[in-house]
Amino acid sequence: MKVGFFVGCNTAFNRPDLEKAVRYAFPALGIELDNLDGQSCCPTWGTLPSIDLVGWCALAARNYALAEEKGLDMVTVCGSCYGSLAETRHKMLTHPEIKAQVNEILKDTSGKEFKGTSKIRHAVYYLYKEVGPEKIGEAVKHRLDGLTIAAQPGCHSLWPSEAYADPEEDTFHPRVLREMCTALGASAPYYSRLIDCCGMGGMRSTDMDKSFKLVRTKLLSMKEEINPDLIVTTCSSCLIQFDTAQEFLQKDRLLDFEIPVLHYMQLLALCLDADPQQVTGLAKTGVDRVVNRILGG
Amino acid sequence: MSNPAEPQVINLSEAETGFPQEIAELGGEELLKCIQCGKCAAACPMVLAGFPFFNKRLIQAILIGAREMLLDDSSIWACQSCNRCTEICPREVRPFEIMLAMRRVAVREFALPTLAIEGLKSLYDVGHGVYLKEAWQSRNRVGLPEKPPSTVAFPQALQEVQAIMRKTALADLGIIPMSEAGVTERCEV
Repeated sequence: MKVGFFVGCNTAFNRPDLEKAVRYAFPALGIELDNLDGQSCCPTWGTLPSIDLVGWCALAARNYALAEEKGLDMVTVCGSCYGSLAETRHKMLTHPEIKAQVNEILKDTSGKEFKGTSKIRHAVYYLYKEVGPEKIGEAVKHRLDGLTIAAQPGCHSLWPSEAYADPEEDTFHPRVLREMCTALGASAPYYSRLIDCCGMGGMRSTDMDKSFKLVRTKLLSMKEEINPDLIVTTCSSCLIQFDTAQEFLQKDRLLDFEIPVLHYMQLLALCLDADPQQVTGLAKTGVDRVVNRILGG
Repeated sequence: MSNPAEPQVINLSEAETGFPQEIAELGGEELLKCIQCGKCAAACPMVLAGFPFFNKRLIQAILIGAREMLLDDSSIWACQSCNRCTEICPREVRPFEIMLAMRRVAVREFALPTLAIEGLKSLYDVGHGVYLKEAWQSRNRVGLPEKPPSTVAFPQALQEVQAIMRKTALADLGIIPMSEAGVTERCEV
């Protein structure tokens, strides 16, 4: 199996330990990654999508063309990349006039063409479907027995389901991330704010207090209802929000605990015996204790 | 609109009647299907966080032509693009597309936040809306090459991205400098 790795901005520049985790875990499970040389930003919401619909689709289409030339689907670990690339593809395939305008732009600027033959897949959903939780559970060297995880699915792995290659059966009651955590031996119980938004993204850039209000509400729900050892997300933006907001909230005395945070791909890489410094080394929250427990167990 | 709880007088004779059409042309074409049922609002993170113009109220304001009122408020930039509204809407109004269309209206009036301008500039200059100059250090630390295999490592690819961006509405707006000469062989920023 081979798939293109769409890295995106936050993973490449903010949390390269997450990029490293993907580059470790996929080959460890027998899946080869293509670099999709020359890929760019997807791009997301506050940039071109907020200016020009066709222009947004054109930049996304250029990224698709790189994958289509190689006959590959793409995987990403970033919710925004997943959303932007899936939504633009859906727009181009359901609106032929948008696709035609996009291809006109591509022809004039790069000689490329968007055909619609490659898909964007979310790395965790890709593994769920193509490898399966059972085989992943058998492949790991370290299991998570006794560990309680608060699952943070992230908005863009769920909605709009019409645009996604691997949608949840019921998007307002998502199961995939919890099942994927359970496959590693952990428990990932339901809590009432499971599908709440973390507050990252446009909200954090516009009003940090309001953004932190959302993440705090969610943290309190996790703590009170399931008291997790670890938060695990499928989205690089959620990762950054949960990993950085807790310190701010503690300084303002709005939070009197800390829950370490990892992306699912980091957790999987750890279970597959990756070097913890390389795949989790940039975390701000105290992941060491959890990491030691995983590697010691 | 600082306090959404205060009653507000809206003079409908000042309404901009072409406003719904403008929104439709910029991507919010399902606008008129909305019956203000409020399902989108029930699912919206902006409501939970306390922003005045979340999806339902944005649509209402557009329908009554309250263009200036919307341009004076930053709510639209706090939308998380999460698409809960588009998923749940029983009328297929696609409220998120209307949110983006409103941003496109605001941008044409140069009513956009500084961070959005910085993101656009970064997108044009390096091919990434989010970019950290010092990232090579942490990339090295975790055993990765200094640059990801993207436009930052492939100048030709960056030139393509810039050429595409020069074909968009961004080029007419003049919000960021978009010269061809900005491309350097090593694309160091």
